[in-house]
Amino acid sequence: MNGKYGKNAKNAKKEAPHSVSVCSVHFRLFRVLALVLAAGLLCQSPSFAVQNPISIRWIVDPAEAARAVAEVSGIDHSALRRLRQGAWSQAKWQQLFAVYTEAEGAPSALPALPMLGAYSIEGNAVRFTPRFPLEPGLSYRAVFNPHLLPGAQRSHIQTVSAVYRRPRPERAATTTVSRIYPSADTLPENLLKFYIHFSAPMSRGRIYDHIRLLDAGGRAIELPFLEIDEELWDGEMTRLTLFIDPGRIKRGVLPLEEIGPSLETGKRYTLVIDRQWRDANGVMLRENFEKNFSVAPPDREPPVPSRWRIHTPPAGTRDPLTVDFAEPMDSALALRVIWVEDESSRRVEGKASLADEERLWMFAPDIDWRGGRYHIAVQTTIEDLAGNNIGKPFEVDLFEGIDRRLKIQTVRLPFEIR
Amino acid sequence: MKRYALYLALVVCVPGLLIHNADAARSASGMKEGKVEFKSVGPLAFGPDGILFVADTKAAAIIAIATGDVKSGGGSGAFRVEGVNEKISALLGTAPDQILIEDLAINPLSQNAYLSVSRGRGPDAIPVLVRVKTDGKMDVISTDKVKFSRADLPDPPVDGLIGQGNRQSNPRRESITDLEYFDGRVLVAGLANEEFASTLRAVPFPFQTVENGAQVEIYHGAHGRFETRSPVRTFTQFRIGGQPHLLAAYTCTPLVQFPISQLKPGAKIQGKTIAELGNRNRPLDMIVYEKDGKPWVLMANNSRGVMKIDLGRISQAESITQPVPDGGVKGLAFETIAGWTGVEQLDRFDDKRVAVVRRSESGSLNLEALPLP
Repeated sequence: MNGKYGKNAKNAKKEAPHSVSVCSVHFRLFRVLALVLAAGLLCQSPSFAVQNPISIRWIVDPAEAARAVAEVSGIDHSALRRLRQGAWSQAKWQQLFAVYTEAEGAPSALPALPMLGAYSIEGNAVRFTPRFPLEPGLSYRAVFNPHLLPGAQRSHIQTVSAVYRRPRPERAATTTVSRIYPSADTLPENLLKFYIHFSAPMSRGRIYDHIRLLDAGGRAIELPFLEIDEELWDGEMTRLTLFIDPGRIKRGVLPLEEIGPSLETGKRYTLVIDRQWRDANGVMLRENFEKNFSVAPPDREPPVPSRWRIHTPPAGTRDPLTVDFAEPMDSALALRVIWVEDESSRRVEGKASLADEERLWMFAPDIDWRGGRYHIAVQTTIEDLAGNNIGKPFEVDLFEGIDRRLKIQTVRLPFEIR
Repeated sequence: MKRYALYLALVVCVPGLLIHNADAARSASGMKEGKVEFKSVGPLAFGPDGILFVADTKAAAIIAIATGDVKSGGGSGAFRVEGVNEKISALLGTAPDQILIEDLAINPLSQNAYLSVSRGRGPDAIPVLVRVKTDGKMDVISTDKVKFSRADLPDPPVDGLIGQGNRQSNPRRESITDLEYFDGRVLVAGLANEEFASTLRAVPFPFQTVENGAQVEIYHGAHGRFETRSPVRTFTQFRIGGQPHLLAAYTCTPLVQFPISQLKPGAKIQGKTIAELGNRNRPLDMIVYEKDGKPWVLMANNSRGVMKIDLGRISQAESITQPVPDGGVKGLAFETIAGWTGVEQLDRFDDKRVAVVRRSESGSLNLEALPLP
C-alpha cells in the first residue's frame, strides 16, 4: 500500500459501541511515520490498548482521498490464519467488519446497510477497500466486531470503530449559463428548441424545475417544454437541449387545441434559468440567467441553400469562407452538418464558427486557401429555428403523403477560390 | 414495464421445454464472457432465459447480459422495500440524493427486481445495476466477468465533422427512451439532442450488425392532421387481430398502435392513434396484463396517476384523426386507479401483481408489489 496514514481511532472501554474518535488531519508522505505515531498518541489510550489491542485506521492518500481504505490491526495470528483460509462471503465479512455511510443531516430512520467493498488480508491486517469512491462531505464509519473473529474466546471484547470524513472543499459559485442559442432576440412563433450552454458541467435530475418561460407579465407559461426524463445533454453535460413541446407549437389555421401554444406572435417572453440549479460539484449557479425575446410570425419555409450567399476569400490567405443563410439556423446542426470539400471531394480541414445570430457560417482553413474549385457540403438534416429541413417543412400534412424517411442527402454548393 | 411479452410467456408455458431450450440456446449464441464497460445505464428489459437488456444511452448501445438468474425466487409473499433509494445509497457509499433510479425491470423467471441506477448526477456518474431479490436483499450486479453481447446503434447519419480538424468531440447524443424485447428483436425508441427525430429500431437478437437503414421515423395524427415528431415516451406490445403491435405512448398523451411487422429498415410507419388520455401529462411506463379474461394496459403518468386502459375492443378502435379539444380524452376507455400516487416506474411482478417504484410524501422511494387492478 502506497497510501499515507490518515486516521487512527479506537473506542475506549467505557465508550458505547460505535462511538467515534476522529483525527481530521491529512498527512504528507514524508511525514508518514511521525504522524502515525502522533495519531496513535492522540487517538489511543495506552492503558486501553493493553485490554483491546485491536484498532482500525483509515488509510488515506491525500492525492486520492476518494480511495481511502479501512484497516484493522492487532488481530492475533491464529485468527488471521483462519480468516485467510476462510473464503468468507461478503455477508459474513460484513458481520465482522462493516463500513457504513453517514450522510449529513438527520440520520436515516432505516436500519443501516453496510457499503460494498472487497475484504483482504494485508500482512497482519484486515483491509476493507470500498467498491465505490468515498464522497466529499460524507462520513464513513468502519465497525469491527472482534468477538466474531474465528476462535474468539473473549466475547466481551467491545466493538471497535473509526470514522473517516472526507472533507468537502469550499467551492464558490462560479458556474454560469454562458450562452443560450438561438442568440437572436426575435424568434419565430414555431421555434423548436433552445440550447443552454453552461460554463462547467452540470448535474442531472429534476432539471425542469429550474427552467421557466415567463410571459410579459412575469407569469409562468405552463409546461412549455418537452420534459424528457433522460434529459438531452451533451457528453460533457455543459449543453442542454430544450425542446418546445411540439404539442404546444401553434399550427397553421387549425383552431388551437389543448392548452394553447407556448409562444404567440407579437408577445414578449423571458426564459429564466434559476440559480438553484446545481453544477456537477453540487454548487449552485453564480446567478440567474434571463433571455428576453419577442416572437415573430411562424417560419414554415424550408431552408433553400441555392439562395444562400457565399463570400469567398482570396487564395493564399486563411481568411474565412462565409455563407450567409439570410435567416438564423440551428446552431448545433449548422456546426455539424456543413463542411468544405475540394475538387476531389476531400474534406478541407479547418474551423467553423457562427456569427450574426447564427445567420452566418464561417470557415477558416488550417492552411492557406489554394486557388481552385471547391464545394460546401450541407446535409439536408440541417434545421432552421423552426425545425424546417432542406426540402421539408417541420409540419407535414400526412394526407399529402410526403415521404419523410430519414434519408440523408447532401447538397453541394460549388465555389471557386482565386 | 418493458415486459418481454405476455405473448412470449404463453408460448413458453404451453408447448413446454422444447421451445424454452431452443430459445435459451439461441439467446446465448453470440455472447462472450468478459467485462462489460458501461458509460451509463438507462432503460432495461428482460428477454428470454434471464437475459437482461440494458440501454447505455451515453454509448448509444444495447448490452445483453446473461444474468444466470433463471430460478424462481419463490416470490409469492409480500414484496416491499422502503426507502429503496436510501438503501441503495448506503450500499454504494453515497448520499440518497445522489441516487437516480433510471428504470425498473422484473426478471419474469425469478421475480427479482433489477434497477438501473446512476450514482451521482454529473458527467462522472457511475452506472450501476442493482438487483433486489424477492426477500428484499440487495446486491450490485458485477459486470466484471459475465456473458454478454452488445449492439452499437448506428451513428447518426453522416456525422461529417466528428473528430475532424478542430472539432474534438461530437455533442450529438441519441437518448434511448424505452426498450423492449419481442420475439427475437429488441425494440428501441430514441430521441436525438440536435435534429428533432423520434426513432424506433428493431434490432435482431442475438445481435448482429445494426444497419444504418434500420432507422425509421414514426408519425401520428393526434394533433389534428399534423405530424408532430413527438418522441415515444414508453411502449409495450400486444397482439391485435393475431398480429403483434406496438402500443406507444407519447407525451401529452396519445396512445398509438403500430404493426411490429412494419418495423423494417427504411420503412415509413403511420401510427393509429387509439386514445387521447389527456394533456399536461407525460406517460412514464406501461405494461400489458390480463385480468378477468380481458387484456388491459397499465400506464404510469407523471401528472395523471396510474391508468388502466381497456384493450378488449382495441381491434375495433377507431383512429383518432381530429383534434381533441380542451385537453379532453377520447378513444379507448380507461380509469385512473385511486390511491396509486407517486408511481414513477412499473413492471409486471407476476400474474397477479405489478412492481412499482413510487415516491412517498416524504420524498423517499419505495419499491413494492401491488395487486394488478
